[in-house]
Amino acid sequence: MNALQQEIAQLIIDTLNLEDVTVEDIPPTLPLFGEGLGLDSVDALELALALQKRYDIRIASDSKDARQHFTTVANLAAFVQAQRNA
Amino acid sequence: MEFRIEQWRAWAPGLDSDEAWQAWAREPVSVEDGDAQPSCDFLPAMQRRRLSRLARMTMHVAWPLCGDDEQLPLVFASRHGETPRTFALLSDVADEQPLSPTQFGLSVHNAIAGQWSILRGQRGESTSIAGEADTFEHAMVEAATLLADGARSVLVVMAEERPPAAYDEWIDDVPFSYALALRVGGIDTGNDAQAGVRWQLRLESGRGDSATATWPHALDWIRAQHTQGDTLVHTWKTRRWIWQRIP
Repeated sequence: MNALQQEIAQLIIDTLNLEDVTVEDIPPTLPLFGEGLGLDSVDALELALALQKRYDIRIASDSKDARQHFTTVANLAAFVQAQRNA
Repeated sequence: MEFRIEQWRAWAPGLDSDEAWQAWAREPVSVEDGDAQPSCDFLPAMQRRRLSRLARMTMHVAWPLCGDDEQLPLVFASRHGETPRTFALLSDVADEQPLSPTQFGLSVHNAIAGQWSILRGQRGESTSIAGEADTFEHAMVEAATLLADGARSVLVVMAEERPPAAYDEWIDDVPFSYALALRVGGIDTGNDAQAGVRWQLRLESGRGDSATATWPHALDWIRAQHTQGDTLVHTWKTRRWIWQRIP
């Protein structure tokens, strides 16, 4: 897990108030929604807001790619990195 | 109206056992509020993530009063509701910050009743009320109507959370956060074997000039329960509520 992935895993824990969950419990390829960590659509909105605040990036809610970016920590980290480099 | 308190449970910071409440009832003091809250560790972390402090207090007191396979109507009562959440959302609005979808979604008075329904698989009636300083008595009226309508038992939760300091000028009846859950049943005349403490509650008209009770009515009721007090008079404006234990 690289530093950005760790940071995002921690952001998920803090933002969504996941008590008893540690960064190690959210490996980069674990599906975040449904089976896997078990997040739902309200969590997705909350997480999008937190990412926008933390990394000063924009996430278009109607973007077809958004769903793909949010599947795992690895995908989120890659997305944040790409936005930062843009 | 007459009813039985089949079971009850209360929580406040530092007051989480019969012994602690007993001591408080003998010598009531305003306990330090801090940010203590029940752990609710009977729930998996993923189910706890959207429970606010007031919701945790509610779950903590109500949880053991409802059987695993039981459906019970719920009356959730709180005069002020989740003031910390309201204050946080209003602060975000004032700062022109985007609102948290979770906070916004839960910012209604019946959110906690909804969470109870989801977590306990309750499909029956639930009512959420906010009244004045006699919200507790109004909750009992609500419970009595549900009993009269055929419910075998009704779960009543009265919960208040100490509001943020910004509300100090307006809210002066929450000395500390507390939650009280009552499992209320009707009285079958002729059946003396029914468990629980029997109470009669009646409403009289007052002149509107009497002082209110020293403690919030629900806390005063807990005090009476522990000190074997058999009469309570709770006056608010022109409403004079009289609680009388039925021997």
